[in-house]
Amino acid sequence: MEYSTKDKTIFLNRELNELDRFVIDFTSLLERYVVVSGYVSILFGRSRATEDIDLLIPKMNIKEFESVWKKIIDNGFECLNTEKIANAFRLLEEHAIRFAKKGKPIPNIEFKIIKNDIDSYSYENKIKAVINKKELFISPIEMQIAYKLFLGSEKDLEDAKHLYELFKDKINKEELSSLIKKLNVENRFNAIK
Amino acid sequence: MRAKDMKIDLKELEKEKEKNFKERLKFISYWVKFIKEHPDEEWSRQQNIIINSQLKQERKIEVKNK
Repeated sequence: MEYSTKDKTIFLNRELNELDRFVIDFTSLLERYVVVSGYVSILFGRSRATEDIDLLIPKMNIKEFESVWKKIIDNGFECLNTEKIANAFRLLEEHAIRFAKKGKPIPNIEFKIIKNDIDSYSYENKIKAVINKKELFISPIEMQIAYKLFLGSEKDLEDAKHLYELFKDKINKEELSSLIKKLNVENRFNAIK
Repeated sequence: MRAKDMKIDLKELEKEKEKNFKERLKFISYWVKFIKEHPDEEWSRQQNIIINSQLKQERKIEVKNK
């Protein structure tokens, strides 16, 4: 594993698992997205699985959404919430919609529109992960650590610790500290580091 | 024994929970060290055993519940 902070890229030569293949298949259909939350820790070795992968996309109009939808459906995925584009588009305004390989609801993608500054930060500062030459955009590690601390379950704190321990020599400590202060999670950070 | 007959020391349980959590955090440090010291192919092969089997298990449960 190699993290080039200058290029905002992490190179990995890992053996792919079912989850990796699923995420790579899905994200290869998208141009604008960022993968956030649990899968980011799993990609870098956390010893657990997940049944859903959180993915953020910028707000889009119905025409743009139709084009993305068609690409996803034509490539063997289905929406678990609805079969109708108009319903999915309406749902997306307030909720996440889920996509999975047809007939295989696990694992699935939780597809969400960017709604707040935490989402926007993750999208605007996304980094690239190159896994066996395949590319994936993921949330910056500093935000991943801070947000996992904010979520605060034991699983989330373990995810935060995993990422912190793995990348502590590479991450922007000042930025991490600002995010931790903004999210008011200094105590949790002290408990895991 | 039935639920109404059980004597549970919640303080002790909390302590045990906290101890388990600390032990898991320790294991994370150990595992991250392993990741740093071994090639990606090696640690990912071990990690994949857990991931692939967990997904398989979750699917089995889902089919059962249907």
